Order: sequence, then C-alpha cells, then structure tokens
Amino acid sequence: MNGLQKYYRQSATYKIFSGIYEESIDFFDTLGKITLNGLEVIKQIFSGAINLKELIYQCDRFGVSSLPITLSIVGMTSVIVSSQVAGEMVKQGGGNFVGLLMSILIVRELGSIMSGFAIISMIGSSMASEIATMRVTEQIDAIKVLKVEPIRYLFVPRVLSGMIMMPFVVILASAFGVLAGAVTSDLTANLGYRAFFDSAWLGIYMKDLSVSLLKSLCFGGIIALISCSCGYYASGGAKGVGEATTKAVVWSFVAIVIIDMIFAMIFFF
Amino acid sequence: MSIEVKNLIKAFDEKKVINDVSFKVNDGETLAVVGFSGSGKSTILKLICGLITPDSGEIITSQGDIAMVFQYSALFDSLNVADNIAFALHERRDLRNKYSEDEIKNIVTEKLALVGLKGIEDKFPSELSGGMQKRVSFARAIVTEPNSILYDEPTSGLDPISSTLIEDYIVRLKEETHAASVVVTHQMSTITRTADRVIMLYDGKIVFEGTPDDMLKQDNDYTKQFVQASLEGPMKMMTE
Repeated sequence: MNGLQKYYRQSATYKIFSGIYEESIDFFDTLGKITLNGLEVIKQIFSGAINLKELIYQCDRFGVSSLPITLSIVGMTSVIVSSQVAGEMVKQGGGNFVGLLMSILIVRELGSIMSGFAIISMIGSSMASEIATMRVTEQIDAIKVLKVEPIRYLFVPRVLSGMIMMPFVVILASAFGVLAGAVTSDLTANLGYRAFFDSAWLGIYMKDLSVSLLKSLCFGGIIALISCSCGYYASGGAKGVGEATTKAVVWSFVAIVIIDMIFAMIFFF
Repeated sequence: MSIEVKNLIKAFDEKKVINDVSFKVNDGETLAVVGFSGSGKSTILKLICGLITPDSGEIITSQGDIAMVFQYSALFDSLNVADNIAFALHERRDLRNKYSEDEIKNIVTEKLALVGLKGIEDKFPSELSGGMQKRVSFARAIVTEPNSILYDEPTSGLDPISSTLIEDYIVRLKEETHAASVVVTHQMSTITRTADRVIMLYDGKIVFEGTPDDMLKQDNDYTKQFVQASLEGPMKMMTE
C-alpha cells in the first residue's frame, strides 16, 4: 500500500490535483485574511484611531509621488488609442464623434483603470515590500510587543490615503488623457481642438464622473488593503518579501478588474 | 512573582519545540536560557510576550508591561532614534495623550543616557553601528517602565568589547528597573556576567537548572558538553 501510495504521489494526476488543492487553500486563506483586515481597518477608522502625521505622509506618497507616472501612462494610452481611431473616424465621416468617443473611453474606463495599474506598480508594490520587510526583520513583532495595534499603525493611514488620493489622481489623469487625445487627434487627423471638445462634452454626464470617482475611491482603498495584507503575512527572508510583493501586485490587478466589471454591470448595463 | 511558566508545550508541524517546560523568574532577577541553536530558546520568549500562543500550559506574569529586545534590534528603519524610542508613547492608546511633546523629549534623552548614548536623537538606525542599535533598542524597551524585560541573544553578532558593554547595560537596567529579566543566549560571557540563574534547553526540555557557577562546575553531562563546546556528549546536533 505504501509502495502504491508513493507511486501515486509521483504521478501527474496527483501533482495536478494536489497543486489545485493547495492553490485553492491559499486563495481562500488570502481572501479571508484581506477581508478580516478590511473589517478591522473600518473598525479602527470609526473608532477615530487615525495617525494624522502618517496619513499626510501616505497621501503625499500615494497621490503626489505617483502623479508623473500615472499621468504618463494614461496620457500615452490616450495617444495610442486616438492616433489609431481619429484618422479612421475622420475618413468614415465620423470626425465629429472622436472627442465623444475619447471622453467616454477615458472618463468611464481608461482614466481609472490605467491609473489603478500605475498605482499598483508603483505604490502597491512598494507598500507590500515595505511591510513584508518589516515582518521579516521583526519590526511588526516589535510593534506588537510595544502594545501598538499593527492594523491601526500600518494599515489605516495607507488605506485611507488610497481612498482619499485615488479620486484626485484619476481626475487629473483623465483630464490629461482627454487633452492628450485632443492633441493627438489634431496632429494625426487634422481634427481641430474645437471639433474635438465640442463633441467631447456631449459624452460626459454627471453619472460618468460620479461613477468614476466612486470606482477610483474603491480602487485606492482595495489596492492599499491588498498590498498591506500581502506584506503583513510575508514569511522567510528576501524570498518571502519578493513573493509577498508579487502576490500583492497580482491580487491587486485582478481585484480592480473585477471591481471595474462589477461597476460596469451595475451602472452601464 | 514576575514571570511564571507552567508546563508549557508548543509544537510546530507536530514537532514539540517546547515540551513541558516550567520555571519562575522573580522581580530583580535575571534568568539565562541557554542551549544549541534551534533548541526553542527564542520560542520561549515569543510565548512569554504573547507573540505566539502555547498549545498548552500557563504563563503568569505580574501586572505591567513586558518589553523585548530583539536579536537584530528590530528598530523601525523609517523612524529616527528619538521616534523609535518614543514610539509607544506616541502610538499606544493608553499612553498617547499622557505626555506632552516636551515630556516625551525628556524621557527619550533620559532613556538614551541610561544606555550611554546622547546626541543621536536625529540619526536613523542605518546610521548606527550594531552595538549602538542594540542600545537604542534597550532604550525603546524600557520607555514604558516594564516589569519584565526579555532579551533575545543580545550580544550575538557583536565584537567582544561591544558584548561586554551590552552585558553591563543588562545588569544596569536590572538594577535601575528592578525588572525580571530573561536572557536568551549561547555566549558564556553573557551567562556569567548577567545571569543569577541558568536553565538549559535540549530537545524542548530543561536539562539543567542552576547558577552560572553550577554550570561551570560541569558535573552535568549537558552543561559539560556546552561549556567545552564539544561534539561528544548527550546533545546531538541536527545534521540532516
């Protein structure tokens, strides 16, 4: 029986199913931990346990430091899309709708999702690796021994800063994206700024702006929460820090796409 | 009684790292916990200060704080020395509004002086030597006036002179705070210069209990092997 078991454990079938089993366990374990940490963060926020100095520092890091890369990514995405779309639409007689298309695309989707990706790459990964390093160098143990709640000290300012700053980042990035679209349309299809912006206004409703801001608020909070959580449960040394950072980036990417899909289904179906 | 450990058991992956361990440490007393690497010494400290929970057994501590000095100092590298020491005073719920900024500044200066440092409040941990980092972590540990202080290999990685300095500060802090201290170490100089009593762990159990002088008498096979740093004896190193 032992010989059979040993043989079975070496088989591809066993390896595939045990791999799926382990990944499933890890998935639900991570999901549970993120949820519990999220609930604890909400509890701490409502108990008024906010470190203002740390919150301001994190807001600066989340919103101001990330702005150049966020604006660049949204701006370049807008250039790529409008350079391919504007010329074709003008040829087909739809030049009056280029601004409308670009504004809908950027305000509803590109502005928030591309900013989210930029923030994950720059801020989320940095938060995860920072907290993971604190974990493996016993700094989080030191916080606990000093009877300070790690969730209040580490998570609350980061999650709050994400929720506060992400909408501002998305507003600026979207405005920059629309502007980049107008310049590109003018350069590639001779559309003219007047024609672009006349139709651009037609595509933007208050509902679009509200949904975009609400969505970006969720993105900011969830990116910070996932990044902190993945870093918080890191183990081992440098390898553990790397794994936590990768996990934070992957989970954040998937999470914001899922949230984006839910928003699209609720508000635009 | 400041720290009392009764029939403590802790297992990781079904291996009992701590197996039915009991001891007491009185106020103003220093107990050294010695043993090979991996014998469960640091686990005992983590159990006492509540970082991990025991599978069974009891840990009774007198009211008040338990402080811990970590093996690699564990200073917060994004904070300067003053903020590291004042961390609990700034961030702990029950202490946050207890002191004014001027009072906190005075406390930081006083605690730094106690560990023989001054004028380094604005420096960051990365700008300090290993010995200085250890002393700053001592100052951070005693800022809340703890009843018990736990030291996890306080002299590891330090040169002999820095080790002597750290050992002197362990003795000095005991005299100043009258706290019950537990020092996890495998350095003989730390044992003989700081400890009132010694327990030795092997395979999760206490195999020797006595004074440092008793330990040096070497009439116990375990302590004899430890003191002589011999490969021959009842303790077998893990080789696989």
